[in-house]
Amino acid sequence: MHRIEVDAEIDVLEANRRLAAENREFLKKHGITAINIMGATGSGKTLLIEKTADALGDKVRMGAILGDVVGKADYERVARHGVKAEMINTGKECHLDAHLIHHAIEKFNDVDLLLMENVGNLICPVDFDLGEDYRVVMVSVTEGDDVIEKHPEIFRLADVIIINKVALAEAVEANVDKMVEDARKLNAKAKIIKMDLKKDVGFDEWLEWLQEVMSKQNGR
Amino acid sequence: MSFAQAIVENVLKLAEEKGAKKVSKVLVEMGELLLINPEQLEFCFQVASSGTIAEGAVLELEFIKPHIECLLCGKRYDEPIAICECGGIIKVEGGKDMVIRKIEMEV
Repeated sequence: MHRIEVDAEIDVLEANRRLAAENREFLKKHGITAINIMGATGSGKTLLIEKTADALGDKVRMGAILGDVVGKADYERVARHGVKAEMINTGKECHLDAHLIHHAIEKFNDVDLLLMENVGNLICPVDFDLGEDYRVVMVSVTEGDDVIEKHPEIFRLADVIIINKVALAEAVEANVDKMVEDARKLNAKAKIIKMDLKKDVGFDEWLEWLQEVMSKQNGR
Repeated sequence: MSFAQAIVENVLKLAEEKGAKKVSKVLVEMGELLLINPEQLEFCFQVASSGTIAEGAVLELEFIKPHIECLLCGKRYDEPIAICECGGIIKVEGGKDMVIRKIEMEV
């Protein structure tokens, strides 16, 4: 037996990129606007999907993919609102990837809008392109007003940054203006929405954005 | 963990093609913007490779810096920001790749 050194040149993330491109092609072919919703556990992602389903359910054909480590609690919550939903359990993985979505999207070929709820954290989902059209990051003031500066990469690559639970800011001593400023420092182009889903703050702004991007996608 | 698994899968595939009996070292180039904690990745690599011919292999990581530059004044930065001091838009390139460069194996 002897020792050899082999030049490998293997791009580890290439497989995900290739599958993401295939997903993107599928979504485009079927006229689907797909949105990857990322954010920590408890930031309000599932409630955002539920409320969007109620608001748009009879106007657009909406579907939702719910990514969670285990269980189907989120799936059950969303399915109750009458939208087509699919659960993806990732097991030990902390993010959705293009491969998991590849298997799931075939069931959504008849929807106009597909919301994909990623696994609850601000780190792992960043590096996995799912083939989505837009990336949304949701944080809540209860995570601390330094949450954005502590996770720069996910905010840098977002199309929309939602700061949720703003009605609780005073109670948890969070400075919402600082959070907006931190987001702006990292991302000059993202739409920033101050929201409180339980008080209906900022929700209209979200719906307007959704309708705007959907009409843009239809014209592509 | 999925990064570690992907590395191990790719390493084993190539090692098998070369008829290796053992993998002793793997050199991976990693973009800084992947924000990977090297200790965590090394631990996951050990877990993912256990029971395979790559068990016990040394994982060498080389971090590659992204290129961050203002489109207006050309000033370079170490950390990604959106707007330069001069008001220009910052362009961020690279820093998100993960490439297995070299594999040392026993054949």
